Amino acid sequence: MRLAKLFPAKTVPAKMLLAKTLTSTTFRLALIAIGTFGVITAAIFAYVYLSTTSYVRSRSDRAILTEVASLKGAYERGGREGLVALVDAHLADKSFADHVYLLADPHQRVLAGNLRQWPQASTSSSGWIEFRGARTAPASGGQPLLRAVVQTFPNGDRLLAGLDIGDLDNFTGSIKLAVVSGAALIFALAAMASVLVTRRTVGRIEQINATSRAIMASGLDQRIPLRGSHDEWDRVAENLNQMLDRIQTLMGEVKQVSDNVAHDLRTPLTRMRGRLEKAYLGARAADSDQALIGDTIADLDAVLRIFASIVRIAQIETLARKAGFHTVNLVEIAGEVVELYDAAAEQDNTTLALRGAREVMVTGDRDLIFDAIANLVDNALKHGRAGGKVVVACEIIDGQPAVSVADDGPGIPPCEREHVFKRFYRLEQSRYTPGNGLGLSLVAAVARLHGAHIEMCDNAPGLKVKLAFAPPAS
Amino acid sequence: MTGGHRRILVVEDDPETAGQLTEQLASSGYLVDLATTGSEALSRAASRDYGVVTIDRMLPDIDGIAVMRQLRDDGISVPFLIISALGEVDDRVRGLRAGGDDYLVKPFSFVELLARLEALLRRSETVAKETILRVGDLAIDLISRSASRRGKELMLLPKEFQLLEYLVRNEGRVVSRAMLLQHVWDLHFDPSTNIIDVYVGRVRRKVDDQQAYPLIHTVRGVGYRLRAPG
Repeated sequence: MRLAKLFPAKTVPAKMLLAKTLTSTTFRLALIAIGTFGVITAAIFAYVYLSTTSYVRSRSDRAILTEVASLKGAYERGGREGLVALVDAHLADKSFADHVYLLADPHQRVLAGNLRQWPQASTSSSGWIEFRGARTAPASGGQPLLRAVVQTFPNGDRLLAGLDIGDLDNFTGSIKLAVVSGAALIFALAAMASVLVTRRTVGRIEQINATSRAIMASGLDQRIPLRGSHDEWDRVAENLNQMLDRIQTLMGEVKQVSDNVAHDLRTPLTRMRGRLEKAYLGARAADSDQALIGDTIADLDAVLRIFASIVRIAQIETLARKAGFHTVNLVEIAGEVVELYDAAAEQDNTTLALRGAREVMVTGDRDLIFDAIANLVDNALKHGRAGGKVVVACEIIDGQPAVSVADDGPGIPPCEREHVFKRFYRLEQSRYTPGNGLGLSLVAAVARLHGAHIEMCDNAPGLKVKLAFAPPAS
Repeated sequence: MTGGHRRILVVEDDPETAGQLTEQLASSGYLVDLATTGSEALSRAASRDYGVVTIDRMLPDIDGIAVMRQLRDDGISVPFLIISALGEVDDRVRGLRAGGDDYLVKPFSFVELLARLEALLRRSETVAKETILRVGDLAIDLISRSASRRGKELMLLPKEFQLLEYLVRNEGRVVSRAMLLQHVWDLHFDPSTNIIDVYVGRVRRKVDDQQAYPLIHTVRGVGYRLRAPG
């Protein structure tokens, strides 16, 4: 118990929990999932970003190329003067407000346009240029991003015509910001969620582990705490707790059995020992020796029978006999039992009768079912009223095949009913009637093997024990 | 019955049990050979004609069941009496029993062993084809499933008839309670009550009451024997 306090099931130190969370398999799996998910998200976002910007850019590029074509036309028609006139006209026109122009002669002198000087940025092979600069007319604040095409004319003049794409720049900038921050947010949320989920999982597993350690250290009376959330963890905990209950019951039974075996075997063994010792010390006498040997063999046989019964129950409980299951008729088996015990009932002046349906099929082992019914009938005859009545009935109740054995004797007080199936359990009132207290535990073992349910009820007067089977597999 | 059929091969590895068995069987008029290992059992059983082979499940070299299977495969049809120290006789042994053999669970009483041996030895004799079996003034008709003494019919329930038939078929030989349970009720366990005695008691009343002499006799500590006087 003291060790159990060292491993309290509920509180696991936070630091340890975090360390376990980070090294747990669940967390690693979550990381892999986040990684995969992240790459896919990034790819989708990159595609959205690129396709949006290239669409917007291609629209402005088309406008620039149209403008360059009309300027080129002006040059071809009116030479440098015609071109200058058109540029000036466009500069004066409000619908060309976001256009930039610059016409320079071979000596870099500005002939027309709204830029102060030729930009430093280099020109791409196809003539495109992108740079930041201020327009003089209409005057623009700051240094917006400008995109233009450079055209060199046969006389050495160079024309730069383009658009202020500051808006486009801002637009792609905000898309970029949205994409990057969205991705970052998704990553952060996924990471947080996986830490939380993993932490919860690890926390529950750690609770189970802590309880297991406490059980190993102190004993079987610890249970895994439930959260009442009815989730899969609660179900695992419930099942483990039920398993622990069963183990505890079995351990209790084993202890009870070994105590009872010790008691029940010590009695005949002491008797035999005393008898043999007396004979050993006394003089040989053929007659009394013969009787003594006979009695000792009979006592030994009783001891061996107790052993055989214990072994038999243990073997039934290993469930190994399920392989030999067949569809059998309960009525037929019960009939054979009644016939076998009829003579014994007659001797006690008890009426033994078979009632109920003609055919009640179950899936099971004939020998074991026979044994179970025989034990119930045996008990009913032994503990029932002399001159009374024992009724064996086979019937189908709510689709469940059942066999019941009822007597009209003193019965069993309700508080003792669940104990009578324990090995060697005997009611105070029947301490001195023959039997070794193993019969009903054999019935219980057979019932468990067959998935049958045992019910004990008041037969007013007397006891009725019912074995309800599962419907036979078709 | 030929002389060879009084010869029994005991396969047992525990020296004390083997000693007790050979001694007691010899004093009951059997010729006994002993084999202490599975391979010895194989060579002995192959070289000589035995009435019965008693064989322990747990042998130092080969499992008793494997020895039996080997001998069966070699065409040796001697009946086997399996002696098992395993608590419950498992299905393998039960299956073999259906093939004409028998089994005993350790510890057993020697009289029980003798009764089983007698039954097995008799099985290897020629089987009577008669449909009416007679012992003294008792006659049982295997076709109409009826029994009578001095021509007066006995009122027997089906299981009671089966029990009487088994006793008649083993006339003069001891039949144990476990053998009755096995052959009449097809039960392979000991119900550990006196239920068989009570049952036989009732059959005995029906068969022997108000007759010139009793046929069913109790053999103390073992079981029953059906025998006509003289």
